[in-house]
Amino acid sequence: MLDFLQAVSDGVLFGATYALIGIGFTLVFGVMHKINMAYAAASVGGAYCGLLVLKVMGSAPPALVFLGAFAAGGLLGWIVYVACFHFIPLSSPLATLMSTVGMLLLIDEVIVHVTEGVPLTYPAAFDDVMLRMGEFTMRGDLLLVFGVAVLCMAALLLLLYRTKLGLATRAVSQQPVAARLCGIRLERVNATTFIITGLLGGIAGALIGASVGALSPLLTTPLTVKGLIVTVIGGLGSIPGAIVAGLLVGGFESVLQMYRGVTERDLYVMLLLFVFLVFRPGGIFAAKGGRD
Amino acid sequence: MKKIALAVSLALCFGVAQAQEKTIKISGFGAKTGPVRGFGVNSEAAMLAAAEVINKAGGVKLADGSKAKIAVDFYDDRCTAEEGISVIRRIAGTDALVAVGPTCSNVAEPLFGILQKKVGDASDSGLQFPVFTDVAIKVGLARISEWAFRNVPNEVTMYSSVFYWLRTTRPDLKTVYGGVEEDFAHSRATWHVVMKDRANANNFNVLGESKWLLADTNFATQVREMKKANADIVAISAHPFSMCGALKEMARQGVKPKVLVGLTSSSTTETLQGCAKQAQGMIIPTSFAPVTKDGKFASAETAKKKGAADLHSMAAWENMFILKTVMESEKITGKDVQGDRRKIRDGLAKLKTTPGLMGVTKRTDDREADKPYLFVTAKGNDWVVLHDPL
Repeated sequence: MLDFLQAVSDGVLFGATYALIGIGFTLVFGVMHKINMAYAAASVGGAYCGLLVLKVMGSAPPALVFLGAFAAGGLLGWIVYVACFHFIPLSSPLATLMSTVGMLLLIDEVIVHVTEGVPLTYPAAFDDVMLRMGEFTMRGDLLLVFGVAVLCMAALLLLLYRTKLGLATRAVSQQPVAARLCGIRLERVNATTFIITGLLGGIAGALIGASVGALSPLLTTPLTVKGLIVTVIGGLGSIPGAIVAGLLVGGFESVLQMYRGVTERDLYVMLLLFVFLVFRPGGIFAAKGGRD
Repeated sequence: MKKIALAVSLALCFGVAQAQEKTIKISGFGAKTGPVRGFGVNSEAAMLAAAEVINKAGGVKLADGSKAKIAVDFYDDRCTAEEGISVIRRIAGTDALVAVGPTCSNVAEPLFGILQKKVGDASDSGLQFPVFTDVAIKVGLARISEWAFRNVPNEVTMYSSVFYWLRTTRPDLKTVYGGVEEDFAHSRATWHVVMKDRANANNFNVLGESKWLLADTNFATQVREMKKANADIVAISAHPFSMCGALKEMARQGVKPKVLVGLTSSSTTETLQGCAKQAQGMIIPTSFAPVTKDGKFASAETAKKKGAADLHSMAAWENMFILKTVMESEKITGKDVQGDRRKIRDGLAKLKTTPGLMGVTKRTDDREADKPYLFVTAKGNDWVVLHDPL
């Protein structure tokens, strides 16, 4: 029983990293009804850029590296918006999907070329902290990721429901034409959404790097896949859904790893996705029907 | 006017001489895209550096007594089988006489499969092109085709030696537990076919193994299994990224085996950059360390071409010199491409030993190498020689 609980706990805590990525996917989808396939890659890219702080300063506290990743993530988010959405007709769903797939590969390859594919050590935060309750343990760094995921959710919800920008974002999300008639600049709101998700992605990438202890281009594809699964299971466009689904997928994965082994683990995660698509296609937090 | 005419004549003569300079093309191929790009970059640098050294010494002597310079080009196979096959077909379509590569075993295996199985078999339309592998290390691949040759370390011999040495020098060690990257051809085969078997053969009790994937980031469950096994030796057959993740998780969970054994491909700076602290004391057998004069020279020349010297890239360096010797001994003409390819293949097949940076390499009947090796261990931020078993 202890093993089971430990596996659930390990998985749920690690699932916080999936949740952070899922939030970014879901926010963009919520506003623009588009999937940004480059999101996880841009997040990892932002985290890599954070390492420039170390390069420039020689040594720096992890918080400063995270701050660098945060800022770089925002910039990358804007670049992704400009390159993959701004000049591409949004009426064609495939166009933006393919442009973001292209951007994913581009970011991935830029990382590989700059780093020669060699994993780079990432400054850790609380990685030596281990909470122990007898045999039961919890990693300090993953608790930090978990805490940050919850804080991000709270901050985003505050932004969306307590600010003018949030009001504009929701308006664009629900009725873009009406929003434009009300004087809201759609492009500006969309760009801002990408910058916000980019900032969040930068932090997510940095925290993932810190929890893994290294950054590698190997991270981008699995994070993209997990981010998408989390977004679908949580409910496209639902921020709390992304968090809950991230933790759920993490826990599910860990338990299956324990009982069925690594070679079957992802099979069951895909099966979980399939079950949701068949029986609850809207996800855990299926959005209520809007005015559209 | 006369001076101008003289200058023009001299320039023309020089141009003709340049145009007449013979070249022999050797193509390299390997991963230069994706997470294992570093291997391709290093192999290319080593090949270019070796070619430069050979050319400075005059080049390759041809059958007619003239000399030809070696020209190297390098193709990216992206570490994918389909790209690798496409690349080797492209290379075979040029005037390249031989190819050095690939990086990945998952490329080498199918690629060797499209070569002619038996030389001279008219019923086999497979590609008749010699491939001399420097990196792809999965055991036993060269036997797929008589056109395939490898200069990669023999892991069976090396791990046999490691476990024998541990058995004899540390009689307190009884049990072994494995950690294996299950989705990478080399690391998977090294644990399941080599390490496990060699540990058993040396009377160690193999208690089991934990499996993970190349891109995994969470190792909590696997390390918990490892902790339960409480083995004296933990042997990790994984590449640096996942190996470092597992080592860090081992440190968190307080898993401290008496001895850590690592995968041949992990005795690199990559591991030390990723987890020097956790890898301290890890023992890895390797077929290259810059301990000899030649090794240091090759390492320095490769660095000039922006490559790192390791057991894989230095095999590419050795291959270039072996090929030069074979081309000269087999008297290639530099004119008959297919004839020269066959001569190179036959010459490689005849070799019983080859000179290497660490000493003499024995060649086996199945076109594999039995290279000299030693054991290195992670100490501080370096790999240092722990033991020379030969």
